[in-house]
Amino acid sequence: MNSSRIAIAAALAAALATPAAQAQGMTEKCYGIAKAGRNDCQTDHSSCAGTSKKDGQTDAWVAVPKGSCEKIVGGKLTSS
Amino acid sequence: MLALRELQAAFADHLAGRDRVDLLALVSGDSIPAAARIAVHRHHLGQSLSAALAATFPTVRALVGEDFFGRMARDFLAGFLPTQPVLAEYGADLASFIATYGPAAGLPYLADIARLDWALNVAAYAGPVRRLTAADLSAVSSERLPAHHLALPPGTCLIDSPFPLPDIWRASQPDAGEGVVDLAAGRCRLVVLPGSAGAFFVSLSNPEADFVAALAAGSSLEEAAGVAFAADATFDLSKTFARLIRLGTFAALR
Repeated sequence: MNSSRIAIAAALAAALATPAAQAQGMTEKCYGIAKAGRNDCQTDHSSCAGTSKKDGQTDAWVAVPKGSCEKIVGGKLTSS
Repeated sequence: MLALRELQAAFADHLAGRDRVDLLALVSGDSIPAAARIAVHRHHLGQSLSAALAATFPTVRALVGEDFFGRMARDFLAGFLPTQPVLAEYGADLASFIATYGPAAGLPYLADIARLDWALNVAAYAGPVRRLTAADLSAVSSERLPAHHLALPPGTCLIDSPFPLPDIWRASQPDAGEGVVDLAAGRCRLVVLPGSAGAFFVSLSNPEADFVAALAAGSSLEEAAGVAFAADATFDLSKTFARLIRLGTFAALR
């Protein structure tokens, strides 16, 4: 084994001995989602009600996104 | 009269938003006109798939709002109808669609947010997998550890984006405050992982992400460490390896 391999072996072995590696589970900040059951065969009942004879294709085109994107500033990366 | 296969293709085409007048002649139009009868199906398909996409891409939906999302979803489904019946698996192509979708060009980070939403969705439905623990590797002698290969479990993926996706993601949550996100915060390296009853992501440093990416590509621990050290001479291999094991980044040994 050369010296760099020995150093790597020592670092990896040391990691296995730390309490951090041995404690499974979350001890740091992370972000995530929770999912309900899988919807294999969901149908949208309301759209079948017969009142919906139009398919929405003629809706006025919504050119401007109106959501939380207004909080995101500094979009210079695209124009440059 | 169309053959059955042609009739089905014409119906699918019409549902996807392309008007097929040849279809109307084949549909009964007594009390309700034929066009209106078929429109119900097109509307139903659009609503169902838009709702499925909104559930799978909640952050994209929050960023652009309901109206924009609904229109984008309809434009998407015109080219990408589902190819399998599971709605939760519909939308694999949405991120690449958004990348070239003209109306979203003003939101250059939107495609990467869609990749994050999709990765979380895939991870959430990946099913339980046993993860590598420190105890699993205790049987491997430390001299042999550097030559070891580790795989990522199903549903786990790395995301590399020039945009601060975690900040954008947080600002789009229902309980987010009023603070703004500056895109100048720049690049992020994330690992998305299956979690209990869902999925989560954490930020990695550049050398940490290089280390995981090299392992995922089939490198040994020694080779992957070399890649990370080349990227950043101050890379802390011990601390990173401990952190990654604790997060459950690696699949259990077979």
